[in-house]
Amino acid sequence: MTCPHLEYRDRTDDRRFDEPRAYCTVADRFVQPMRADVCNDRYELAHDRHCEIYLERARDDTNGRDEANDPEAANG
Amino acid sequence: MSYDAYLAGEPLIVTAALTGGVHGKEANPNLPETPEEIGRAAAAVEKAGASVVHLHARRPNGERSFATERFQEIDDAVRRHADDVIIQHSTGGTGAPDDRRHLPLRTDPPPEMASLDMGPLNRYDHLTSENTRGLVDALHEEMVDRGIKPELEVFNDGHANEVRGLLERRELADPVYATLIFGPGTLTPPTPRNFLTAVSNLPDDALFNTLGFGRHQLPFATMGTLFGGHVRVGLEDNVYYRRGELAESNGQLVERVVRIADELGRPVATPAEARSILGL
Repeated sequence: MTCPHLEYRDRTDDRRFDEPRAYCTVADRFVQPMRADVCNDRYELAHDRHCEIYLERARDDTNGRDEANDPEAANG
Repeated sequence: MSYDAYLAGEPLIVTAALTGGVHGKEANPNLPETPEEIGRAAAAVEKAGASVVHLHARRPNGERSFATERFQEIDDAVRRHADDVIIQHSTGGTGAPDDRRHLPLRTDPPPEMASLDMGPLNRYDHLTSENTRGLVDALHEEMVDRGIKPELEVFNDGHANEVRGLLERRELADPVYATLIFGPGTLTPPTPRNFLTAVSNLPDDALFNTLGFGRHQLPFATMGTLFGGHVRVGLEDNVYYRRGELAESNGQLVERVVRIADELGRPVATPAEARSILGL
């Protein structure tokens, strides 16, 4: 399964490429080709083990859910 | 290799690392990615004074490829555009299964040289390129079978021990040729003292090539030239010409180190001279 934050784009406001390239919607930038292999879970790579951007986002999302479900935090 | 080699005016082998496999056109739009772009870049750096081109293969969108067929397309383009440059394939590949690391060795004809990473190095925050001794031995064995000269990539001082270990386990053709690599992360910290230490850590008769990443490319190429080594430059290792200014081409980076070698009085090796020095 590829990273849910991966998109292929051939342009942004200031960049344009002949072929669509890997774009990280969390980092909001085109990623290095080697990192694109991580995004795509190619070879022996996995985005949920090897990508610090994905892992940090997942951690933030989890913390956000925990805070939302914490009645004391909600009352605080 | 030593300062004496510089004083003796031994020719300098310039390797151009044209494309790499980590960053691509997202870092510098002038970085060649397609076989045709790489072929034209090889011709330009050869004209500028490079005698070796270090090659990786990519898919059409710039992402990494380890396929023999893709390396073949690149080699064909290099031979179509360049005259006599020495082709060196990378066998590096963070996260790639070991069997794929062998594929760049299987073009027809095989490359005259191929890289051999001497040990582990970290990538990003959660990834390590392992380069086990088992893989090193297996790649070396296939290089021997195919008549390919290994370029031993020494990413840090511990890898100098790995070079000696490989020499104990295997018989390497003379001369041993090692690239000393300086930069951030797992690489040897880029200081002049560490450069001298890294050179002294190699076996006595080994030849060395000098690779500084990023802004260290130019000063370390200059040190390599002065201390009797050889040099590697190119957009794989450094996308800038100077601070804040992207390099226009691989040729521009080669032209600069050739100018420096010329000013220092060190002749630049032709491909034929490089073959003689390297025992190809």
